[in-house]
Amino acid sequence: MEYNEIIRASIVALKSNLMRTALTMLGIIIGIGSVIMIASIGQSAVAYVNEEFSSFGTNYFQINPGQNAFSGIGGGSSNPLTLDDAQVIEDAGMENIISVAPFAFASTRAAANDKEIQVSVYGVTAPGQSLLNPTLVYGNFLTDADSNSRVALIGIDAAEELFGADINPVGETLRINGSRYRIIGLTESESDLTGGFFNSSIILPLDIVSEQIRGDDELFEIDVSVANTDYINQTMDDVEVLLRDARDLEEGTDNDFNMTSFIDSLETINSITSLLTALIAGISSISLIVGGVGVMNIMLVSVTERTKEIGLLKSIGAKNNDILTQFLIESVVMSVIGGVIGIVIGILGAFLISLAFGIPFILSIPWIIIAVVASTLVGIIFGLYPARRAAALSPIDALRYE
Amino acid sequence: MVNKTSLIELKDVTKKYPLGNGEYYQSLYGISLTINEGEFVAIMGPSGSGKSTTMHILGALDTPSTGTFMFRGKNITSYSNDELAEIRNREIGFVFQSFNLLPRTTVYKNVERPLMYGKVPPNERDQRVMDALRLVKIEDKAQNFSNHISGGQIQRVAIARAIIMDPSVILADEPTGNLDTTTSHEIMGYLQELNQKGRTIILITHEEDIAKFAKRIIRIVDGKIISDTKK
Repeated sequence: MEYNEIIRASIVALKSNLMRTALTMLGIIIGIGSVIMIASIGQSAVAYVNEEFSSFGTNYFQINPGQNAFSGIGGGSSNPLTLDDAQVIEDAGMENIISVAPFAFASTRAAANDKEIQVSVYGVTAPGQSLLNPTLVYGNFLTDADSNSRVALIGIDAAEELFGADINPVGETLRINGSRYRIIGLTESESDLTGGFFNSSIILPLDIVSEQIRGDDELFEIDVSVANTDYINQTMDDVEVLLRDARDLEEGTDNDFNMTSFIDSLETINSITSLLTALIAGISSISLIVGGVGVMNIMLVSVTERTKEIGLLKSIGAKNNDILTQFLIESVVMSVIGGVIGIVIGILGAFLISLAFGIPFILSIPWIIIAVVASTLVGIIFGLYPARRAAALSPIDALRYE
Repeated sequence: MVNKTSLIELKDVTKKYPLGNGEYYQSLYGISLTINEGEFVAIMGPSGSGKSTTMHILGALDTPSTGTFMFRGKNITSYSNDELAEIRNREIGFVFQSFNLLPRTTVYKNVERPLMYGKVPPNERDQRVMDALRLVKIEDKAQNFSNHISGGQIQRVAIARAIIMDPSVILADEPTGNLDTTTSHEIMGYLQELNQKGRTIILITHEEDIAKFAKRIIRIVDGKIISDTKK
């Protein structure tokens, strides 16, 4: 028998009970819709995290004092990183290392325009500044020549607090710890993850922060840029050996510093997000099973209602297989149509959510293919029993059925 | 030795139906009959006489409990479901009293359906469907849905579908049961015409005036043939 004719007949049969068909499809629509929506949002989240991390660049790794990446921020680490550590790495002249960027951090009060605020201060060198990657709204970045000058880049939120909104503060003076600093640039970071932090901070030359604000040469971080990210782990191993040696760590003791590369973090975050997405999508697919049971139920009703029709078809020569195929295709058509509607609704839902949360919208083709295959399988699996029951009817019992 | 013009031969056919409590209801008690090619036979009997069971066996819709059913000299008693479906498709055309046509389906598609099951190539079908519809003068209703035509027209479409595979025999089970006298005679006229062209017709009826169209009348009472008369 021709499949196009059976499909046409199936659509006609399904249309004849439109409300019933629609309600049956609802289970499939909800199942597929939620899987598509969750998978799509999951992928959007991965893309969002990637985008955020990429804004820092992935061609470097960071070294922080202590056991974890944030132990250096508060200072007071038992064995802090210092400029000497940065110098050791720089002096090693490793082939894969492009630049070494030490960062100092301080929290202090800054005053200007008769106002005083609490700010975070970053002490950076020229390569460090490029790693922070802020957008310059007005003025210029720090240069090597500024390393001993009292010049400052001010974040847009800090500038707004001190000077008011939409004002160019370049050329204005800032007072920190009684010293005067000339503002040479206004910066803005658009990163959702770190923008708020950087935008309310001030960037000063590293030496100035060490000597005049902190009063020591402690660093909270050293960032090392590499030429080839394929060898980043090798370079990290080499730097680890170098630092352990420089910091006189005995064999068998733990590091008193830690090293992280964004590529590692990114891979970890991506795999966790993908796993969570698959897990949640898997849980939502349970509703597909409920939808499938609905399909089976309605197909059983349909077989009973159309018993006489089955008898008639058998009397004109339909074989068991013809009847089986007809009912199976009917249940597949129903679940595939439900699946397609679910895909459209899922995509629409994911699009609206990504719009509402300002995350990128990703149309996941593999998940759409999975959804189509899944809805077809639901149609086959849950349609098989009713179709077999229809096929097994004896022609005479079916014809006599009242 | 099978008569060379013998189309159908029932030998000592019985039919028992299980009642579910280990007991049986026996509908046929040793029916034996031979129908030759080109005959117009009416099987008559009151309700519950076994005439419908006989017709179901003759139509390969049901199988005998005991006895044999020879079709064109072949014992088809133990044929598989698919083999019987093939016989129904190629050798037998059915016209039922009611529920003859597929609902939600056009007249054309109804008549075409046996050709699909018979795997007739699509390019041959249109001609055959329209020829069959023309024979019963209903070609103008080809695209009408089966629920949008009258009872008499339904029976004409059923006749068109019954002959579409050019079967050896047409089995008509009370084909005029739901029709008025004029339409009944019209339908019988078509069957008579088909018989005159050489087709074997087996008619199941309880109406004497309908049975008169046949050339041979077999009467069944209580599952046994009580008379078999030829005009």
